[in-house]
Amino acid sequence: MKILVYLKQVPHQDARLDVSGDGTWIKEENIKFEINSYDSYALEEALKIKDQDATSEVIVVSAGPERVVQALRQALGMGADRAIHVRDDSVDATDALGLAKTLANVAKAEKPDVIFMGFMSDDGNFAAIAPMVAELFGVPHATAVIALTRNGDTFIAERELEGGNLEVVELKAPCLIAVQTGINQVRYASLKGIMQAKKKPVDPKSAGDLGVAGQLAAKVAIEKIYVPAKSATAEILQGSADEIAEKLVAKIKELGLL
Amino acid sequence: MGNILVITELQRGKIREASYELLSFAKKIAAAKGHSVCSVVLGKDVAAEAEAFAKRSGGPVYTVANPVLENYNVDAYCTAIQAAVDKAKPELILVSHTPSGWDFAPRIAARLDAGFVSDCFNIDATGDLVFVRRVFGGKMDARVAVKSTPVVATFQPGATEACQDSAAGSVEALDVAIDAGALRTKFVEVKAPQAKGVDLTKAEIIVSGGRALGGADKFKEVIEPLAEALGGVVGASRPVVDAGWLPHERQVGSTGQVVSPKLYIAAGISGAIQHVVGMKGAQFIVAINKDPDAPIFEVASLGVVGDLFEIVPALTKAIKAAKG
Ligand SMILES: Cc1cc2nc3c(=O)[nH]c(=O)nc-3n(C[C@H](O)[C@H](O)[C@H](O)COP(=O)(O)OP(=O)(O)OC[C@H]3O[C@@H](n4cnc5c(N)ncnc54)[C@H](O)[C@@H]3O)c2cc1C
Ligand SMILES: Cc1cc2nc3c(=O)[nH]c(=O)nc-3n(C[C@H](O)[C@H](O)[C@H](O)COP(=O)(O)OP(=O)(O)OC[C@H]3O[C@@H](n4cnc5c(N)ncnc54)[C@H](O)[C@@H]3O)c2cc1C
Repeated sequence: MKILVYLKQVPHQDARLDVSGDGTWIKEENIKFEINSYDSYALEEALKIKDQDATSEVIVVSAGPERVVQALRQALGMGADRAIHVRDDSVDATDALGLAKTLANVAKAEKPDVIFMGFMSDDGNFAAIAPMVAELFGVPHATAVIALTRNGDTFIAERELEGGNLEVVELKAPCLIAVQTGINQVRYASLKGIMQAKKKPVDPKSAGDLGVAGQLAAKVAIEKIYVPAKSATAEILQGSADEIAEKLVAKIKELGLL
Repeated sequence: MGNILVITELQRGKIREASYELLSFAKKIAAAKGHSVCSVVLGKDVAAEAEAFAKRSGGPVYTVANPVLENYNVDAYCTAIQAAVDKAKPELILVSHTPSGWDFAPRIAARLDAGFVSDCFNIDATGDLVFVRRVFGGKMDARVAVKSTPVVATFQPGATEACQDSAAGSVEALDVAIDAGALRTKFVEVKAPQAKGVDLTKAEIIVSGGRALGGADKFKEVIEPLAEALGGVVGASRPVVDAGWLPHERQVGSTGQVVSPKLYIAAGISGAIQHVVGMKGAQFIVAINKDPDAPIFEVASLGVVGDLFEIVPALTKAIKAAKG
């Protein structure tokens, strides 16, 4: 199987976030980045297929500035075969539709049998790109997939619904699967993998190469991001750990629970 | 001027509360921008619910009735919604951010070459229409402005009051052919959750830990002793379960259990909306988090800004001492 995995590099989940000078995104200087949590699970699903069928090819694709090469190298270290780096300022500044058009054109050029993506990004939280890419590439999709089995080119996907219910759907390749976190246990890159990754190709592509130059004007624009004023806030206990513990004990007694 | 199309959602044959909330947002935008509101109801049997919706929405309510729409199916839904879009030619399409909504809404946006914004909880219609939504898992909010229409927007269920207006609307059935054989994603079944070993919904005291714990061993060392001292049970946020530190039966939230204990202690949990919907019904909430801006403090009754690895053991010790 030919498998495409889209992955985004996002600020590390423990990074301290500060709003950028123009107020529309965060300051990228001096923070660590990592592979979007959902996308590590997407890559693992792809690598599981490759484990069963060594003739499979896993291609990882990421759009973003120079720093995303780090994420692509990590994915190659975990076992992906080659990488495509979409590097263009106009792609980085567009909205979900513009990004989806760009990424769908990678799929049109590569013609994969299956695409794995994350359900959502840890930073933008749009949960937009997967169904959009599926539509533009012309294949069926399933989102929030928490279990997946494959029989030849048929996939049985369990979609997570509210309250613990699962919706079981069947799709045939070519198709796109957007995974939920927890669908598998993600492997680590081995030392050997990391060494081998250095020789694997990372192919750069511009908006022009992908035929989307001039088509990326945002239809919806992020005007501003900010730390919201809290609608309500808890009374914050002060003091040393032991003093705080005493105050909590008093409260728990008052509630009649001690 | 333009039209706003509200896509309603049936759940067990009834229009969800979230659809009436969409209607509230639609009417607010319509009033500010001089738009008209129309809606669509899709499902197997839709007539009665469409009538009920029309009595609150006013405007035309389109219906698409077809047996293949009984269960959610992305291809069938997109075909049905496309028919309503052809009819209404909307500038704005509003959808609830639910497991079906988030599945088809971006797909429809791509089909219509429309802008897309998701999981909004508010709007600002005073200038360019702006949608307000959370980013970075709730650590920040973003204002997203419409630059060119059409735009598809999804809204968080519970973000506003359901529309209670009474109005005179009309229902119009659309004749849409859906070829069941051509559906590429096939519905197989809905599986109900399996019986749990522990039932968090019955617990009086829950001590939950989040991603900050860092490992299963830390749950044993830090969270379990507190739960034990209090005679409560251990709960967790989703990343804890994803990482395999605790089984899924311990997960609190929209895709775990919805709990309402007398006391809920959240240690090292940021307070993402999907966690909060599972525990905000607790009578008393204590949050322990080192980040004073963490959204969990918004729902907590008492907060401690500090390191859980210091606070929790101190609390465990104090409770043991108090019990004598
Ligand atoms: C400087 C800057 C300016 C921006 N301006 C705007 C704007 O004006 N309007 C606007 O709406 N948004 C804007 N964005 C946000 C941006 O376009 C979003 O990335 C986009 O809307 C997709 O949302 P998401 O990242 O939340 O992805 P989601 O849809 O949540 O991601 C789902 C999946 O898509 C894949 N994916 C997502 N991004 C990538 C990527 N870069 N490479 C490979 N795979 C990917 C991953 O598999 C991911 O798990 C801006 C972002 C930046 C950094
Ligand atoms: C469709 C969907 C369904 C979901 N369902 C659920 C669900 O059912 N339940 C659920 O919980 N989540 C759910 N999520 C995930 C949710 O969005 C969040 O990602 C998750 O709740 C975050 O878990 P967390 O708070 O443990 O981790 P984080 O958000 O990473 O927060 C960790 C917190 O710990 C604090 N911290 C770090 N170190 C310390 C320390 N030493 N002492 C004190 N504090 C510290 C940090 O300041 C931070 O606030 C769902 C998401 C989606 C998209």
